[in-house]
Amino acid sequence: MLISYEWLGDFVDLEGVTPQTAADVLTRLGIEIESLTMVDLSQIVIGKVLEQVKHPKSRADLWVHQVDLGERTEQIIAGAPNAVPGSLVPVALPGTTVPNGKLVKDMNIAGYQARGMLCSAAELLLGEDHSGILILDRGHPGEPLTTVIPSHAVMQAEITSNRPDEVGHLGIARELEAGLDRPMKRDFMPAFTGTASPPGRELVDVSIDEPELCSRYIGGVIKGVRVGPSPDWMQRRLRACGVRPINNIVDITNYVLLEYAQPLHAFDLAKLRGPEIRVRRARAGERILALDGIDRELTAEMLVIADSDRPVAIAGVIGGEETAVSDQTIDILLESANFNGPSVRQTARALGLRTEASARFERALPPELALAGARRAASLIAEIAGGIVHRDWADVYPRPQQPVRIDMRPGLIDDVLGTHVPLEEAESILKRLNFHVKADGGGNWDVLPPVFRLDVTIPEDLVEEVGRVYGYDRVPPTLPGRRHEKWTPAAPSIDRRVDSARDVLTGAGFTETWNPALVSGRQLETLHISAHAMRVSNALSDDMDSLRTSILPSLVDVVALNRDRGRVDVRVFEVAKVFLVDVGEKDAQPEEPMRLAAVATAGASPDEGRVAFYALKAVLDGCIAGLSAPATVYDRASAQLFHPGRCAAVVLEGRQLGYVGELHPTVSASAKVEGRLVGFEIDLEPVLAAARAPHAQPLPRFPAVERDLAVVVEEHVAAGALLAVIKESGSDQLEHVRAFDEYRGAQVPDGYKSVAFTLTFRSPERTLTDAEVDKAMSEIKLGLEKRHGARFRE
Amino acid sequence: MSDPSAITSQALSAIGATQSPEQLDRIEIEYLGRKSGQISKLLDGIGKLAPEHRAALGKAANEAKQAIQEALDAKRRELESARLADLAETEAIDVTFPGPPLAQGHIHVLTQVQRQIETVLESLGYQVELGPEVETEWYNFEALNIGPGHPARENWDSFYFSPHLLLRAHTSPVQIRAMQRIKEPPIYIITPGRCYRRDAPEATRLPYFSQVEGLAVDKGLTVGDMKGTLLYMIQSLYGRERKVRVRPSYFPFTEPSFEFDVTCGICNGVGCKACRHKGWLEVGGCGMVHPQVLRNGGIDPAQWNGYAWGFGIERMAMLKHDVDDIRLFYESDLRFLEQF
Repeated sequence: MLISYEWLGDFVDLEGVTPQTAADVLTRLGIEIESLTMVDLSQIVIGKVLEQVKHPKSRADLWVHQVDLGERTEQIIAGAPNAVPGSLVPVALPGTTVPNGKLVKDMNIAGYQARGMLCSAAELLLGEDHSGILILDRGHPGEPLTTVIPSHAVMQAEITSNRPDEVGHLGIARELEAGLDRPMKRDFMPAFTGTASPPGRELVDVSIDEPELCSRYIGGVIKGVRVGPSPDWMQRRLRACGVRPINNIVDITNYVLLEYAQPLHAFDLAKLRGPEIRVRRARAGERILALDGIDRELTAEMLVIADSDRPVAIAGVIGGEETAVSDQTIDILLESANFNGPSVRQTARALGLRTEASARFERALPPELALAGARRAASLIAEIAGGIVHRDWADVYPRPQQPVRIDMRPGLIDDVLGTHVPLEEAESILKRLNFHVKADGGGNWDVLPPVFRLDVTIPEDLVEEVGRVYGYDRVPPTLPGRRHEKWTPAAPSIDRRVDSARDVLTGAGFTETWNPALVSGRQLETLHISAHAMRVSNALSDDMDSLRTSILPSLVDVVALNRDRGRVDVRVFEVAKVFLVDVGEKDAQPEEPMRLAAVATAGASPDEGRVAFYALKAVLDGCIAGLSAPATVYDRASAQLFHPGRCAAVVLEGRQLGYVGELHPTVSASAKVEGRLVGFEIDLEPVLAAARAPHAQPLPRFPAVERDLAVVVEEHVAAGALLAVIKESGSDQLEHVRAFDEYRGAQVPDGYKSVAFTLTFRSPERTLTDAEVDKAMSEIKLGLEKRHGARFRE
Repeated sequence: MSDPSAITSQALSAIGATQSPEQLDRIEIEYLGRKSGQISKLLDGIGKLAPEHRAALGKAANEAKQAIQEALDAKRRELESARLADLAETEAIDVTFPGPPLAQGHIHVLTQVQRQIETVLESLGYQVELGPEVETEWYNFEALNIGPGHPARENWDSFYFSPHLLLRAHTSPVQIRAMQRIKEPPIYIITPGRCYRRDAPEATRLPYFSQVEGLAVDKGLTVGDMKGTLLYMIQSLYGRERKVRVRPSYFPFTEPSFEFDVTCGICNGVGCKACRHKGWLEVGGCGMVHPQVLRNGGIDPAQWNGYAWGFGIERMAMLKHDVDDIRLFYESDLRFLEQF
């Protein structure tokens, strides 16, 4: 909200308090001043236009003015045509910096001297209007502009949602009063100024059908107003706060809104049928032409203000055009009401129409504010528009505001803050904030918050009130001491335990990525991995409407993006959750397994794909080893996203973790990635569950014997199966076996392949003899022959 | 047959003229070789000699062998030291030529920053606690005092799957789950994790982001303890000269509530363009846990109290590494990720 510094001065004495000081005090109190704009008009002078001619040479539309500046006349060129001869205008002479930051210089425009600038309201930060020169209604040529418009400052304030009372200048001024310890100049509740008969409540019939949605409705009758422009000072303040002046009546309602935070509405009493005001729900199909010129259809969820036969306003949101105040209006009904916050918010959202009024009602205003706002507006209307205020207004108040009393142990303040605040100081702070404090017999305080503070209900709220005025800067920083016999031993999180796998991957040239979990549901469908996907019901866009069920597509997209940006070789990984919900149980929380996935690019040929596959498998083995888990085994498998002939299930102690393989050509093609991709994706939790701290083994005391074995088998026999047989038929002395080559060609018949293994034998007790190793080898060979019809190459 | 002294002088002059270790090896074989070396040959016929001659020849031959061996060793040392003395010239390489590129991947900058935060808070005894990202409305809102119709709810505009299931808007639900699980304080936890809000992507915010929240529940905790914890954290991450201030604010789940700011690292709090002349940068929110929130977590507020704080990991990374667009973290452009 925009706060005018000068306006605050109406309520609290700001003598000697600069706008910057006020901003700092407010920020410390919890009203964050996001920016402070100083509007210094002291360098701007008033000029009177003597002559205006179109620039004869310039191709742009420019006007050349002769401007009387009191003691001299200057030639000034402007782009707007509205400074006709006789106009009083603000002039910035060369060397002046205009409030919007522009430095004015001597210019020569197509042969014509320009010695200064005629200013628009926007350039002087007096409003939004930059379409023309600001025309002044009074002033003398040559005098500073500040003789008619004072310099001022505007603060952009961030008001937290618990403080509806601060969304007006009066509320802000009250904070300054407490923060600066200065007296307020004005009471919260203005005096009632209505005296005319007959009583207002006899002139209009007010009723509330929905007391839950409207706790109070005040309808004040003011007759004989003269509608016209509002006075300069009021227009200026409205503009400073970003509100466009319309006419004196509407301006006064807006002015009081900005002052008291109470939204008001003025109806043309003559146009209200009945005259009657009924606060009721809209009927299905009812329509209203609103003040913004848009005709809207209403629903039964919406609260309206109706006269005897139609809605005349959408409660708390916007008034209707047909009953609005116009130039012809003479008698008005002033509405000051209290509407239910959630209901107003719902209506404003449904209509896509958030107004100054609805924004305030949404925060739940205190009903007592309605009376204060109505009284303030009535006296302004009487003063400015010459209205006659009738006595005894209609004030239907079915749900009166209940005062809240808080029983508080004063020691709580020190206990919570962690510093000593003298009791007298705490009490004085609460009193400055308009709280009534009474000590009861037992040393506790009985505290009554002011009527405009519905947010204060528990003792902790009072601690906050004292703390923010006392100043949190005065609370010394400490660290909590521990005096317990109970604690939780330190344990690294799952994510942290995966760091050793991250190290393996980065060592192998893979870079970690964090990709959004929200992905395109359509993409999941195209890839056939949407069965367990959860779909967001209020997505921002189609490409973020579902939770991913696999990390691999994100990584494929990362490859595509980096290829687009000129990178050929891409190796990336991610550690993240995927989201899998049981089919048919879409309203349940999903499984959120933590996964590790990696993708690497490879060349386009089958052979390059094969080489990349084995290289990636080695990286995966390294990750598993890095996580201190037992080695995984691999079974040929087929899985979504993977190449049908180049995919293995990753199995750890009989449990399948996921897959490694070349990605299916359609997966890379759908991301427009050329060449082949290899990747894996595994569940991490079972790996971490299987992890064991390594137990140290005694170092071998006797040498090992290595033997190579080339096994010729039919193409379909997998190396993994041969390895299993070797391990099975090898003696205890077979320490290690590793496949290191696959060969086809000379000496190997068609349809066969030769797989070479290195076997390591060792005994913990003695140096093995050749004869012992030969014997072990022949048993292994026998096993391979029997199980897979293997032959052996020398 | 030559005599030992002739052989010796012949060998010594050959050694003296030699310039390479290989040549020395050949000379060694020629003179001292076990079978066909000159000294061995000299002794070949020794058996036929008279015993007195035999002794004399043996002695002379041994002396010759020793002299030659010594000369060889001396020459070898001389050549080796000459070789070492010349290394600067003989084996010089262009040391300015770069090494071959190392295929080193990078840990994501957000992982790095998260680890730094975790490490600092673990040193104060906080434990990392994780929780589900798809949450129930109760954990995400109600348990945190944000009932239906609460005006603050719009600050956490969320993605819904059904009226009661949504993507968590903050990691605060983990605080409730932790209180329920641990049951009996003291509780000192931090909750890093991904969160989601319905904000259109722009340079300063994204619909998905990551938070770290901290929660302490114990006896007699104070605003001062909270300030000290934040100050310790910030100074550990950004340096001793940084200051922290807490500014009153409002959250439904804390009372009192605060925003916490850190002095701008560029101007040291004086005010500059980077901090919009405020001298302070907003980092996150914090406060004393609302008694109702403790109750919702199954903790008796008459016995225990607590403080909590939270901030975006991206925000911390942006401050630390001068990143000006939050989208870079999730775009996965390697040219960005490889900078860290």
